[in-house]
Amino acid sequence: ISRRRSDRAVESTMALVTSVRDYINRMLQDISGMKVLILDSETVSNVSIVYSQSELLQKEVFLVEMIDSISASNESMSHLKAVYFVRPTSENVQKLRHQLANPRFGEYHLFFSNLLKDTQIHILADSDEQEVVQQVQEFYADFVAGDPYHFTLNMAANHLYMLPAVVDPSGLQRYSDRVVDGIAAVFLALKRRPVIRYQRTSDTAKRIAQETAVGEIKLMYQQESGLFDFRRTESSPLLLVIDRRDDPVTPLLNQWTYQAMVHELIGLQDNKVDLRAIGSLPKDQQVEVVLSSEQDAFFKSNMYENFGDIGMNIKRMVDDFQQVAKSNQNIQTVEDMARFVDNYPEYKKMQGNVSKHVTLVTEMSKLVEARKLMLVSQTEQDLACNGGQGAAYEAVTDLLNNESVSDIDRLRLVMLYALRYEKENPVQLMQLFNKLASRSPKYKQGLVQFLLKQAGVEKRTGDLFGNRDLLNIARNMARGLKGVENVYTQHQPLLFQTMESITRGRLRDVDYPFVGDHFQQGRPQEVVIFMVGGTTEESRCVALQNSTNSGIRFILGGTAVLNSKRFLMDLEEAQRISRSGSHMV
Amino acid sequence: MATRNRTTVYRKHRDACKSARAPLSDSFGGPVIEMVSGSFARSNHSSYAPLSTNDPGPSSSNDDAFTIGLPPAWVDDSEEITFNIQKVRDKMGELAKAHSKALMPTFGDNKGDQRVVEMITHEITDLLRKSEKRLHNLSSRGGGPSEESNLRKNVQRSLATDLQSLSMELRRKQSTYLKRLQQQKEGQDGVDLEFNMNGKMSRMDEDEELGGMGFDEHQTVTLKEGQHVSAEREREIQQVLGSVNDLAQIMKDLSALVIDQGTIVDRIDYNIQNVSTSVGEGYKQLQKAERTQREGAMVKCAMILLILCFIMIVLLILKNVLF
Repeated sequence: ISRRRSDRAVESTMALVTSVRDYINRMLQDISGMKVLILDSETVSNVSIVYSQSELLQKEVFLVEMIDSISASNESMSHLKAVYFVRPTSENVQKLRHQLANPRFGEYHLFFSNLLKDTQIHILADSDEQEVVQQVQEFYADFVAGDPYHFTLNMAANHLYMLPAVVDPSGLQRYSDRVVDGIAAVFLALKRRPVIRYQRTSDTAKRIAQETAVGEIKLMYQQESGLFDFRRTESSPLLLVIDRRDDPVTPLLNQWTYQAMVHELIGLQDNKVDLRAIGSLPKDQQVEVVLSSEQDAFFKSNMYENFGDIGMNIKRMVDDFQQVAKSNQNIQTVEDMARFVDNYPEYKKMQGNVSKHVTLVTEMSKLVEARKLMLVSQTEQDLACNGGQGAAYEAVTDLLNNESVSDIDRLRLVMLYALRYEKENPVQLMQLFNKLASRSPKYKQGLVQFLLKQAGVEKRTGDLFGNRDLLNIARNMARGLKGVENVYTQHQPLLFQTMESITRGRLRDVDYPFVGDHFQQGRPQEVVIFMVGGTTEESRCVALQNSTNSGIRFILGGTAVLNSKRFLMDLEEAQRISRSGSHMV
Repeated sequence: MATRNRTTVYRKHRDACKSARAPLSDSFGGPVIEMVSGSFARSNHSSYAPLSTNDPGPSSSNDDAFTIGLPPAWVDDSEEITFNIQKVRDKMGELAKAHSKALMPTFGDNKGDQRVVEMITHEITDLLRKSEKRLHNLSSRGGGPSEESNLRKNVQRSLATDLQSLSMELRRKQSTYLKRLQQQKEGQDGVDLEFNMNGKMSRMDEDEELGGMGFDEHQTVTLKEGQHVSAEREREIQQVLGSVNDLAQIMKDLSALVIDQGTIVDRIDYNIQNVSTSVGEGYKQLQKAERTQREGAMVKCAMILLILCFIMIVLLILKNVLF
């Protein structure tokens, strides 16, 4: 028994990235010969973020195609074996049906990223007249594992969580299904069955939590269970489903740590940065770059450092590189030449890396300068952390009047002010709304009010501004007295407090109840926090928390990875739909 | 890490569907004809051979299913390169052994060992060079971007990576061998290597010098012998360096093909996107080229006409002048 427990402990500390990589390795290792890997639009992200093209080539996968485009050609390539890795959606099953009826490849190995329904198996078996399918398996890599303890589901219609169910019931059902599938896949990949809690004030969170629980029970009664260690013991992991709207402040703030900053200012999608988004770049520069903590050692050690420190570290890296370059130019003997040729691949890699980081930091500096982000961010942080309504009003008004401040920044400032001083001085609040509307022609009327309706003080559970709980007030005062290391990174996301409560075993049942008859006595050892609506730089908090040896491992997941632009887009979309809905009613 | 195998369920369904389909073909035609044509109908209609009811496996049904797809010709090339790579790997093992044998301090002349080393190194370098040339064959054939060309490109990249790592391994082995040779040489002669390399042309002068310096005969002989041996060593080192240079050339060519790990080119999603965009780009380029070509032809015609006009005018003037 003790050996099994330690095995389980080892499994539970597996990072998500490793799980997905293991799944892919297992898919490919037993199939010999030349292979073609066929993915759909979602699994392509799941795979690309953890597995590289060169690794695929090593496994003799010489072609990668999308399931949509594979039927475009009728060319038979029977010397290739097809490995499908797709989501078990009805669209994919239909496409597979046609492809199995007219097979192009010698063998077909089908891997699905989630549970297959029996009807789907019937459909596929029926169309496989030529018996080309060798195996059908479920490998639960149904999420995008960007960092070891952070995953996302990259959902498109993310705004649905803000709308009541009556507005778009089928849409919300699809949304909820996708989330439940993703969460189930995470726990199947970890091979553990969780205890589930949810945020009481969020209907969407409650629905998702309950549907996940139902799905679990269904799995438990399956014939071939052994999918889960389904003894729910003391050390069962905890799944906590919470709602983005409980902390609307974090996605609105400007970020100053490397990974978050790149995502905020330029945009990070599946660990890729598309530099075309920011316009002017010299022709020979890399247009798209990869920022992956698994593959880039410099990024791994700097992804949570703040902008000032990054600048220094990059300068150091450039100096090191220049030294290497100089010694490479100083070739005098044959031995030097031989050494140069030996080290050339390393040199080229280093050069590429240095140029990538230098470009990113340069572009971001330019943006910071152009949008006066230092000034804006200081006010933002004050709004989020410190007190003083009057001073805040003055500061926001000044910035609204400042010509260099962009529209999106103005909007963010007013939103932060409104979230903080919702109930104080409604006259001044109104004045800010009007000023915003007059200054920003593209501003959608009533967006700030909509935000307050969604995430105002009455809707929130947590103590967002640290002014509800006596303990938090005291803590804030102490922090104010002590002074702050860095004005720009004062704010700590609400998630941090939540994680602390869990660590201390003090997560209140009244705010975060258990689903059904779930119960947990002590502290969990592994916690998956799923944020409906999306995560932001909160992944940094999770990484920090995990590095302290508190004995608890946290994993954070969300429906998307947000920056302020995305959050505002979701908000606008939700507002538009709810408006049109109310017209119809 | 949980997984679930649904193959047995799938196979059950598939067999059930198969047996549900098979009796259908019997119902074609009348009962009498059925006896005779039934079997014909079966072998014509169905794409597998239900007569052999114990299904020996998908391989046989594949043969009937569609015209046996022979892999295209370039697969032969890639297979040969793979075979060469395997041979190179075996030879590397031999080379390591030969190196250690040649480096062992012996009393006698170990020229034989060194020749073995040279031979094996030559063989390996030859194999690598041949493979590299073949590798370029993989890309030169064939038209525009397509699945087939993408496939070929990826096979090429994978083989290039293997070849490059083998070349690098060979270089590393050679440079360590070289270094140890030098060390041995220094140890044996107690003479500086560089001094000797520079002085190899002026051996005659040294002879005289030495004689002049008043060394006695015994010492001169020993020195001369030492010089012969070091000259030998030099030659070996030069040869090794020569093959090092060859390899450097091969590696440079290969590095263009090999993927830089960790960059955007190493991303699967980037490569998928790129195929579709490059097809679009290629088409646009073709259109542009066609346009300019046509225009180019027109420009040429215009020029020719102008020149003709000019000539005619000149002739006219001449006619008027002369007459």
